[in-house]
Amino acid sequence: MSGDEACTSRALLARATAGDTAAFGALVRMHQRPVYSLALRMLSDRHQAEDLAQDVFLQLYRSLAALESEDHLSFWLRRVTMHRAIDRLRRERRYAAVPLADAEMVASDSADADPILERRLRGLLEELAPAARAVIVLRYQEDLDPVEIGRTLKMSVNTVKSHLKRSLALLRAALAVPGSGAGGGSPTPPRPLPSGNRLLI
Amino acid sequence: MSQDMNRDDNHDVEQRLRAALRPVDPGAGFVGGVMARIAAERPRSARLPRTRAAASWLTFALAASIVLALLVAHQHQARRTEQGLEARRQLIQALRVAGDKLDLASRIVNAQQPPPNSSNSGA
Repeated sequence: MSGDEACTSRALLARATAGDTAAFGALVRMHQRPVYSLALRMLSDRHQAEDLAQDVFLQLYRSLAALESEDHLSFWLRRVTMHRAIDRLRRERRYAAVPLADAEMVASDSADADPILERRLRGLLEELAPAARAVIVLRYQEDLDPVEIGRTLKMSVNTVKSHLKRSLALLRAALAVPGSGAGGGSPTPPRPLPSGNRLLI
Repeated sequence: MSQDMNRDDNHDVEQRLRAALRPVDPGAGFVGGVMARIAAERPRSARLPRTRAAASWLTFALAASIVLALLVAHQHQARRTEQGLEARRQLIQALRVAGDKLDLASRIVNAQQPPPNSSNSGA
């Protein structure tokens, strides 16, 4: 976030805390992308992700007075989104596994992207346990370092590093990426994660 | 050699993960949905403080009534104690006056009685 954006966000936060609903709307517009994306990558379902992201903003509206700064707001949004997503995944896991096919609902919007490989990767991500998935999403979507991930997920840095290492090894093995990086766009179905590691990381 | 290959593979997977996990925007009605949910909640939360205020007023009134009742009971007790002490003072005073009168009467009676005849007693 640039200095101007941070300044605007701070002003919006102050106005929203004072009860300005329009300012709160602008704040939602400013933060909807990261919050919704985190929810989407965790839940792999657009409707569920929108529902969860709306819940997060509703909770934000009730908690505005407790937020001290723009940095605190971003941290708070990430933390609440990830914890809610992990809770929902754990709760739903008791009744039904998330279907891998839902990953196809996540469209790619980049011209040079390889949609098939990206879909494969997201499908493999869904096989990771919620906590491991959260670590990967925060690392590669939000570009957080292990310390920040640990703070967000209330995890030790060593646990974060261990999740990252193991998840990357599993994804690499499942994708069977050639050293040159070629063949990424192959339409062959992905090898599932080794059964002993599925949802156990 | 194999470590270098592993590092390359990891870098490759990391790049692909970054591409696969690019942030995306929610649907167009997302903000509207959030604001609608907030608007739906606001009347409830507006009612809530009123209910809470009423409850706190009720608690305050109850506490004030209890304090007032205790104060009145205490004053009543103090007044009764004061009346009892006053009655005791008056009783003591009355007994003292009565005692003085009896003493006086006794002295008068004794003074009117002829002294016993010393000659008769000697005969």
